[in-house]
Amino acid sequence: MPQSQSEAAIESVAGEFVFTRVIDASRERVWQAFTESERLMQWWGPAGFTMLAANVDLRPGGAFHYGMRAPDGSEVWGKWVYREIVPPERLTVIASFSDEAADITRHPYSPDWPLELLSTMTLIEHEGRTTVTVQAVPHSATEIERRTFEDARDSMDEGYTGTLDKLAEYLAKV
Amino acid sequence: MSVDTLSTTFAALADPTRRAILARLTTGEASVTELAQPFDMTLPAVSKHLKVLERAGLITRGREAQWRPCRLKASPLKDVADWVGHYRAFWEQSFDRLDQYLTELQAKEHEHDSESP
Repeated sequence: MPQSQSEAAIESVAGEFVFTRVIDASRERVWQAFTESERLMQWWGPAGFTMLAANVDLRPGGAFHYGMRAPDGSEVWGKWVYREIVPPERLTVIASFSDEAADITRHPYSPDWPLELLSTMTLIEHEGRTTVTVQAVPHSATEIERRTFEDARDSMDEGYTGTLDKLAEYLAKV
Repeated sequence: MSVDTLSTTFAALADPTRRAILARLTTGEASVTELAQPFDMTLPAVSKHLKVLERAGLITRGREAQWRPCRLKASPLKDVADWVGHYRAFWEQSFDRLDQYLTELQAKEHEHDSESP
């Protein structure tokens, strides 16, 4: 891979994927479009896909479970488990691919792709138009980071305890 | 289920020091000492970062006699770039459809408004 492409890949990751779009509609409209089942049935999914189902249980721990038919006839199901719901400004979900029974599955095209994405969507309105920002990071990545951070913190604690012991020794002598 | 490789790659790339190390390696192989130079960091601290990168399959450590050169392995980066490309395309298309849907919705509402007495 050419150097510039490697560098671009490194920077494009920088921990997160970010995507922004300005929509010519109020925040409330955009929020409704993302959270109401009947509306989602009318627009969700990429070009050429038809919606089969859009079940919405809008509460923390609930889910948006959807099914689509791809141009080649195959079915693709997905699931957004809601984490944080702040209408009409923020929605945080764990997004993954799924099957009709709403179990989580691997990505249909590549087993290397993230199983779960921690995604946050924020809506900001200005003069009647809404800027939608989607930030996503592989959820497992955040778990690995958390574990790595905890491992590092634990070894820091050991070092700290050693120092405190020495201080105590010293103070005892003085 | 075991952790997918992309998540491991993302986790490895989440740290700015590790990203800088990788960026340096895109210009060619380097020793640990060379890699540590730009950072106000001990060699053991840099080695910890290199371990993370190695475990994620982003670098290899050579076994040449005097030193162990670190080399970049580009294929996990390519996998990330591919995934980002696909995911970006998914959102582009989804937002195109959202745009169209809301435009039509608002047009219908204006028709309705102009029809009412």
